Amino acid sequence: MDGGELALRIQRFDPSLEKGPHMELYTIPLKEGMTVLDALLYAKDSLDHGIALRFSCRMASCGSCGMKINGRPRLACETQVADLGPRAITVQPMDNFPIVRDLVVDLESFFEKHAGISPGILRKEDPREQESPSGEYLMTPQELDSIVQFTYCIKCGLCSSSCPTSSTDASFPGPQALAQEYRFLKDVRDEGGKERLDLVDTDHGVWRCHFAGTCSAVCPKGVDPALGIQLLKRHVMAARSPMRRKSKGRSGAKVFPNPNKDLLKQP
Amino acid sequence: MRESTMMQLQYVTAVLAIGLVTVHLLMQGVLVPYGEAVSFQHVLSVYRDAVDGALLEVLLIVVLAHGFNGLRIILLEWRQGAVWTRGVNWVVLLLAIATIAYGTRTVVLAATGQVA
Repeated sequence: MDGGELALRIQRFDPSLEKGPHMELYTIPLKEGMTVLDALLYAKDSLDHGIALRFSCRMASCGSCGMKINGRPRLACETQVADLGPRAITVQPMDNFPIVRDLVVDLESFFEKHAGISPGILRKEDPREQESPSGEYLMTPQELDSIVQFTYCIKCGLCSSSCPTSSTDASFPGPQALAQEYRFLKDVRDEGGKERLDLVDTDHGVWRCHFAGTCSAVCPKGVDPALGIQLLKRHVMAARSPMRRKSKGRSGAKVFPNPNKDLLKQP
Repeated sequence: MRESTMMQLQYVTAVLAIGLVTVHLLMQGVLVPYGEAVSFQHVLSVYRDAVDGALLEVLLIVVLAHGFNGLRIILLEWRQGAVWTRGVNWVVLLLAIATIAYGTRTVVLAATGQVA
């Protein structure tokens, strides 16, 4: 692949100076194993220092470099130039978020929605255990299996940028937050049941998902938020059903003293 | 009313509508020749039959409840805000009640022979 050239079209836009975005073309010398992020950084370092983009880990772990590449939301650091076919690539900022500059979008509303679903284990009986843990909450491998894929979310925002409901309904929590809500609802260590149901069983909550499935198609970590949302709908419907059998209450996970606790103590 | 209750209503009315429309089409388009089924006198006779008339009334309520709830959902996704949400919920509810009442009036008038 070395020796060729890549035509990289980047959407440029500074909302404080311009009325609308425009495209700029950069010619990048191709290298073996080049990612779109590599190409963007070459353009920024060697051709135009003014290109604004966000990146960090370069290994699809941090979720910073989400952008629209050839019309599809992807992480620039894990997208190989060679996988995109013809030697012309168009890079634009993610949809459904306000543009800060060029390829950088404002993710504040995204993180607010994530925070809005109480993304942490809620316990009623032993709040003191949360502050100063004396052991561990145990769960079976099966219980872990039922939620583990949703814990792989890196909050890159690609799912929400591809979601058709998020593009029209600003109050919709989005696939990321809803899938996380399901993850905590089904976590046996969590006791936030009713509060969690109330957070998503609203006019603009879980029911506004029309199961387009684009969130799952673009997730770089293989998470299936669309599945999580459908399971969340089923969970809410079952929990709210008047025909529901009276639950004896969730036993939840009990605290088991950590056998290695003494080893962890500082000498 | 909780949104999950509204969606339960949406799913139940969807299933009911499929079943009732199928029965309605079978009764009016298959069991009775189509040309005869749409004649004015036959339509009136359908309203006057207790079972057929009741089926039409239920079909009216089911389809309108489903349709207006769908309209409410579209409007809620179109714009946001507490005032808009409350307004849409109430306006659509009143429109649904008014339309069902008007349709029911037609069913009752035809069933009781007040439409000749």
